[in-house]
Amino acid sequence: MSLSEIWRHRAHLALPGRSHLLLRHAAGETSPAEGQRVEAWLASCGECRRLVAASRSGLAALRASAPVRLTAAESAVFWSEVMRRLDRGGTPAVRPVRPGIRELLGDHPRLSLASAAAAVVLALGLTLGQFGLWGASSGMNGVEILSVEAGDDASVMLFQMPESPVKIIWVFEPPDPL
Amino acid sequence: MDCSGEACSEPRNDDRRLVERATQGDRDAYGVLVSRHQHRMFNLAFQVLRNREDALDVAQEAFVKAFVSISSFKGEASFTTWMHRIVVNLAIDSLRRRRRGEGTEYDDGRAVPEGGEPDAEAPGNPAAELELKQMRGLLERGIASLPPAQRAVLVLREIEGMSYEAIAQAVGCRLGTVMSRLYYGRRKLQQLFRSQAADLR
Repeated sequence: MSLSEIWRHRAHLALPGRSHLLLRHAAGETSPAEGQRVEAWLASCGECRRLVAASRSGLAALRASAPVRLTAAESAVFWSEVMRRLDRGGTPAVRPVRPGIRELLGDHPRLSLASAAAAVVLALGLTLGQFGLWGASSGMNGVEILSVEAGDDASVMLFQMPESPVKIIWVFEPPDPL
Repeated sequence: MDCSGEACSEPRNDDRRLVERATQGDRDAYGVLVSRHQHRMFNLAFQVLRNREDALDVAQEAFVKAFVSISSFKGEASFTTWMHRIVVNLAIDSLRRRRRGEGTEYDDGRAVPEGGEPDAEAPGNPAAELELKQMRGLLERGIASLPPAQRAVLVLREIEGMSYEAIAQAVGCRLGTVMSRLYYGRRKLQQLFRSQAADLR
């Protein structure tokens, strides 16, 4: 999704729980009352309709990829291989692999977002402080934060530059888990 | 052993009796259990791992592990639920090893679907075949990008149709964690399929 799309649809997408509701609706998990509410809302939001359609395609493709069965040859030797391993002494005690830090962050993208946002603010503060542009007494040199929206898809901050019509949109997107 | 003998035709609720016999070391009884559940457990492992060879290994290892610890099976859940837990945890472990460079790569993501060859779903229709291929490619990309635990939760919910509570039990995490993993898994698929639709427009 492009920046302009995020901005245009922020009212629909950035409110907490809305994108979750869309995903649940696409998966057929909403109650009849919720479903009606979502359908009414979809009628007024084209991007939301496209997101629901994309979700449905993705889930349909996933469901269509199953079931996968053993071939006759694999099936024929399945039990004998289990027996062979049992005769060899069963399962050796293998220590389970702990999830890596990337996986943990992938499980909690908001944690990644928070870390990224904190790092950016720290770097910005240090840089501005270095040049005397941002001190304890000087405020933020006139830069005004117009809005901050912590959405499920991306967190968006809107800045207004001092004495200028220029506005800056800052989007914190979750990192790719890979 | 494949499920073709008289013992295999017994009803599924007979699993418990077979488990009891297996607990006393009766390997034949356990063999019947294995043959009843091998296809389903292989499918589950494959859906998480997307690699046939690894899935076969994990499914077999799961049955070995289950037999070794069958005395700890309390019968509170069904044998299938218990096996789900073992298969999923072994599959997650296998994925983590693979990601650390200790294992094999993905195969084409599609082995032998029930009832035919891989591309038998759109025979003689090049446009449909191409679309099917694109969908599968997208799906594989989406699944490959998910962390192992998210992937497992998505498969348990969308393919196995398990309840959130059963998934939490199988994966050994809280209900809230299941919901959040499912959310991110579904969103990943949504983003990929949305961007493809946008490209086509």
